[in-house]
Amino acid sequence: MSGTPLELVCPAGTPGALRAAVDAGADVVYLGFRDETNARNFPGLNFSRPELRDGLAYAHERGCRIYVAVNTFAAAGNPGPWHRAVDDAAELGADALILADIGLLDYARRRHPETRRHLSVQASASNPTAIAYYHEAFGVQRVVLPRVLTVTEIARLNVQIPVETEVFAFGGMCVMAEGRCTLSAYATGRSPNMNGVCSPASHVRYEQLGGRMVSRLGRFTINEFPDGEPAGYPTLCKGRFVAGGCAGYLFEEPTSLDASTVLPELMAAGVRALKIEGRQRGRAYIAEVVAAFRRAVDAAARGDPVPPLGLGGMTEGLRETTGAYTKTWR
Amino acid sequence: MVYRWPEVAGGVNHRADAPVTNEPNRGTPSLSPVLLAGFALRPLPLVLLQPALDLAMTLMRRRHSDVFERLDTLENASFLIDPVDLPFCFTLRLGPPAPRLSVVGNADDMESPSAVLRGPLLVLIRLLEGRMDGDAAFFSRDLAVEGDMEAVLTLRNAVDSGGIDLAEDLLSLFGPLNGPARRAFGAAEALFARAERDLETVRAAFVAPVDGRCDAQTARLRDLEDDLADLRTGMPRANAAGKRAARPGTARP
Repeated sequence: MSGTPLELVCPAGTPGALRAAVDAGADVVYLGFRDETNARNFPGLNFSRPELRDGLAYAHERGCRIYVAVNTFAAAGNPGPWHRAVDDAAELGADALILADIGLLDYARRRHPETRRHLSVQASASNPTAIAYYHEAFGVQRVVLPRVLTVTEIARLNVQIPVETEVFAFGGMCVMAEGRCTLSAYATGRSPNMNGVCSPASHVRYEQLGGRMVSRLGRFTINEFPDGEPAGYPTLCKGRFVAGGCAGYLFEEPTSLDASTVLPELMAAGVRALKIEGRQRGRAYIAEVVAAFRRAVDAAARGDPVPPLGLGGMTEGLRETTGAYTKTWR
Repeated sequence: MVYRWPEVAGGVNHRADAPVTNEPNRGTPSLSPVLLAGFALRPLPLVLLQPALDLAMTLMRRRHSDVFERLDTLENASFLIDPVDLPFCFTLRLGPPAPRLSVVGNADDMESPSAVLRGPLLVLIRLLEGRMDGDAAFFSRDLAVEGDMEAVLTLRNAVDSGGIDLAEDLLSLFGPLNGPARRAFGAAEALFARAERDLETVRAAFVAPVDGRCDAQTARLRDLEDDLADLRTGMPRANAAGKRAARPGTARP
């Protein structure tokens, strides 16, 4: 089966990563400003306004679009930074805004009706009623689906909603409660939803103890990796804990999503765009993953078999999964 | 109760306020041209390296000012950069009057660094040049980090964005002699790659008998682990054999 290529939406945390994504064949690069208005508010990451202006010029000259994520929830009593982020992104010429907060969606619709609005995964909208509401109330034109649905469920959803869908294709996994996860807030007082950062670096410690690396978040020991065992992120959801006398991953293993093997099925399900996770990753990750998915998306569009991507070295814990797309549990 | 590291893994009891330590825990470096070069450099006084490092920093600041702008928030941070295959370490201090890169003989020659970055020299160079992803190097355990992770991430993101190319940066010093210098550098690069391949062949020849025995032991250990798991769960042997055959698959979702 051949068809229109899926739109390849790729991450960038720095201007260097943006250029790498564009050069590797991204259709779209998504990014955020250097503050708490986006869900990757990491030290030294993200874009100043002049950097966004330059990035837009670089991308647009090469036929690539830029989406700006303003996808955290505005602080009570202090919406200014979020409003400025929406205003600046729209005025600089961003091709779409990725938003989650209904107040901010309303602000963007009223102040910048000409700029496309996409619903961030942080809004966690995964049923027809919720998605229809976002479309009718705020003119949302695309929804980024949470990583909770099977391909069959996505296909069923797509015929019931009036907007495009974008799904995650590769990268870090979440505990399938996006926008509603309070694990980081519980451990550190800071959360991806409000502060734009999950398991903030300020609360992370690694220690080498003999032949083991210990990772800790706040006052919690998250994991202990013997020499040679691949490591994972220091998040509570990826912790290896003791329950019933056995140590194991209670929430989620250190594993990355790789949906390349189900690209034809996602196309058939009516998905419009694929999102690669990883604005916090380096240029080397961006260049390699984007180039691999460019090949995969083009092969799927021609109706050819999707080639093996060879991205194992880029995955958390050096392992990958198709996640909920092919889930057999319920 | 739940957030307790298991006894089976050593009964670790960590304090949340444990101090940063740069106590060397370098592991065993691989046989490489860098390791051999390190042995050759060992008799030289380290102070001879300092002018070259000063020049390198001046060059970096001139050619990659954006990197240092991103480092502005770290004005008093200091890093111990420990190439595990060299007999010395580097220190990077970002404090005023200007960032300074120095060399020290031992990791514990630097008092209380903000953070420690440890890995083979080539991994560290690839990270500096953005040719290797820092998270991937961490996942694979090629890179070890300790200390202030905010400082580490800021440094990583700053250098990754900078488009640093050490060869091009150094070649820029040669002005009109850039052409011959570039050819000499290319030849040195080819020589290094050849030495790396040859040493890998030597290493493989030395460890081949041990590798074979290790593979056999690993297979035997897996069988024993399966047997133990079967005994614990009371699983019938026929099912256990099927499970064993299916085991080397991908991760569970």
